[in-house]
Amino acid sequence: METVLMDNLWVIIGTFLVLLMLGGFILLEAGSTRMKNAGHIAGKTIFTAGIGSLVFWAVGYGFIYGEGNWFIGLSNFFYGDTSFSGDGLSPAVDFMFQMMFALVALTIAFGGFAERAKLSAYVVFAVLFSALVYPVVAHWIWGGGWLADHGKQDFAGSTVVHLTGAMAALAATVILKPRIGKYNKDGSSNELAGHNQVYTALAVLLLWVGWFGFNGASTFGVSDAFFGYVILNTQLGAAAGAVAALFVAWALTGKADVPTMLNGALAGLVAITASCGFVEPWAAVLIGVIGGIIVVGSMKFFDRARIDDPIFALSVHGTVGIWGTISTGFFATNELSVGMDWGQPGLFYGGGLEQLGVQVLGVAASGVYAFIVSFIILKVMDKVMGGLRVSEEEEIIGLDLSEHGSYGYPENIPHPSEEQAK
Amino acid sequence: MGYQEIKQYREQHIHKQVNHRQLNALHDEVMEQTVQLAMEKVEEEQGKVPAPFAFFLMGSAGRSEQSIWSDQDHGIIYDGNQGEKEYFLLLGEEIVSGLEIVGYERCEGKVMASESMWTNSVADWKKQVTTWLEEANWQSLRHFLTFFDSRVLIGNQHFLAEIKQVIFSYIKDHPGVVSRLIDNVGFIRKGIGVFGQLLPEPSGQMMGQINIKTTTLFPYINSLRLLAITNEATKAPTLDRFTTLKRKYPYLEQYQSLFQSLLEFKFRFAQQANNYQEVHYIPLKQLTKSDKQELKQYMKKGSALFSQTKKSLKNECSKW
Repeated sequence: METVLMDNLWVIIGTFLVLLMLGGFILLEAGSTRMKNAGHIAGKTIFTAGIGSLVFWAVGYGFIYGEGNWFIGLSNFFYGDTSFSGDGLSPAVDFMFQMMFALVALTIAFGGFAERAKLSAYVVFAVLFSALVYPVVAHWIWGGGWLADHGKQDFAGSTVVHLTGAMAALAATVILKPRIGKYNKDGSSNELAGHNQVYTALAVLLLWVGWFGFNGASTFGVSDAFFGYVILNTQLGAAAGAVAALFVAWALTGKADVPTMLNGALAGLVAITASCGFVEPWAAVLIGVIGGIIVVGSMKFFDRARIDDPIFALSVHGTVGIWGTISTGFFATNELSVGMDWGQPGLFYGGGLEQLGVQVLGVAASGVYAFIVSFIILKVMDKVMGGLRVSEEEEIIGLDLSEHGSYGYPENIPHPSEEQAK
Repeated sequence: MGYQEIKQYREQHIHKQVNHRQLNALHDEVMEQTVQLAMEKVEEEQGKVPAPFAFFLMGSAGRSEQSIWSDQDHGIIYDGNQGEKEYFLLLGEEIVSGLEIVGYERCEGKVMASESMWTNSVADWKKQVTTWLEEANWQSLRHFLTFFDSRVLIGNQHFLAEIKQVIFSYIKDHPGVVSRLIDNVGFIRKGIGVFGQLLPEPSGQMMGQINIKTTTLFPYINSLRLLAITNEATKAPTLDRFTTLKRKYPYLEQYQSLFQSLLEFKFRFAQQANNYQEVHYIPLKQLTKSDKQELKQYMKKGSALFSQTKKSLKNECSKW
């Protein structure tokens, strides 16, 4: 009984840590964007977490874990299970932990909205994403859906959380189009630098710590202290990602770019999320290094493709989420896959191409579903709501003022009438 | 002839110049005509010039290293008293407006004869340069270094020479300031990456283009300016400085011909520039493989020149 209670305690601590990651996202997004949007960006993360929580309670959890079919769960709506058998996790503890992942995915998706979407677009999409997009992918992989049957490995959510969020962000970015001033007529792009690198750095540290709950508590227990191993791999992945990205940025541009290095740390974390429970520490380092390298290439790619991604959500969570998921297809050990009754070993451990195939299939199916459904939802919203984007004037004045009526930094921004007077 | 006519003359001839030297001779001709016209206008309105004076150029114009587009960097030295300053500031304003009409952008940093800092009597100029060197902070040394690349376009040559003498004796008495001057220009923007690739601008209007001014020209210009300051060489053009200084510093010999061809290299690519900002950039796409090799060579040698100059100056000054 004591161990069971400790299991529950560990998972609820993990829940708190993952919730605190939203604080990391607040700092990350605010720091990576301009001052005139800071209050809006920070505040929307809180109220969309509120919306996401209510939707998850009403239908999200049921769609993921309810009794249903290969595609979706269909019971346990308006969750309120007070029972506890004394064995395993209390249903409420499990519910709370799962809810946090849904909120993180939603927050990632909103990275694609930054600095130009209407407040009302956030409200409506928070409801629809939390009901129709995230739960379906989560059901497929974690809720006993068709990909779970194939033995797809995603320890803490490279695909379910990060890729799903990023695909929704991609759909939003494509529909919303680039921010004013991002691209010049000749196709060259301008750097709309974030207003506070200190926020961004603190954000990464906060997320890093939160990630110990995200990955570590995904062991769902303490009995064999496996969480320590998972956290070790997580640490190595993040560390390697930061170092690799800094080196690549310096080698390619001659500048040891701080935002790129920070994205490298996050890339390492995203990459190791799927594989942290399946691979050896040396592989965690390699997975982090590759994550740190490809995030830099991906950022460049999206910039050249004129896809404006202010928070780099597409690269950090999307491109690297794909890499992280596929990485277990190479590096999963026999002991940590077959030994744990979760899929097959990877290519480098004698598993052949089987697990790699399952991982690729999982990424493709989940990514395509999340993108298409998000795209349709956003297109319909666009039509019904008369556009998702604020007016040009509102975007220039800043969303703090246009959407909320007051600036996040009232002392530091000249009032528009003062500017006109000059 | 009015400013518009001078502008037309400039436009008709600017693209016909076949090399760097001819181009700068044309700039001098155009600017001289403009300043003469400005002087006539001010004389009509304010009366005769109250004191002898010199109108001098600084920056790339001072060094005779202008491209087809250039901004304004200039000042006035007059041999008179404070009461006459107003006249020369008015003259400065007329010159600035005239040059702007003719095709020279106003200087963003306000290094122009219309500004009180850059129009002074001989006595005040001497005080000014000494104060700059005494303060020896980042900003004052920037002003000093800007001033030092100066050359008289119209008026009495001696005034500027006198002020430069004040500088030379200050430096002789205070060699410690040389290391501050070296630090002030010590940052060289990287033009070549770790894989030996050229590093163009990563974003903005100039994305994909190399800033040849900051990555390539600056180490040469800064090195020779530092040597000129410490060796009492008054001429401003970098090529003239090479000629004067190579007797004492034989290592400069190889860099002189390199710098000469660098100016022609820049001249070749700056022909297509549409404005002042563009003259400092070369699109990577326009460079052939051998152009790229050539440019990298200029960059590497520039860095080597700066390191060698820094070393030899620190060594010399420690012995003073």
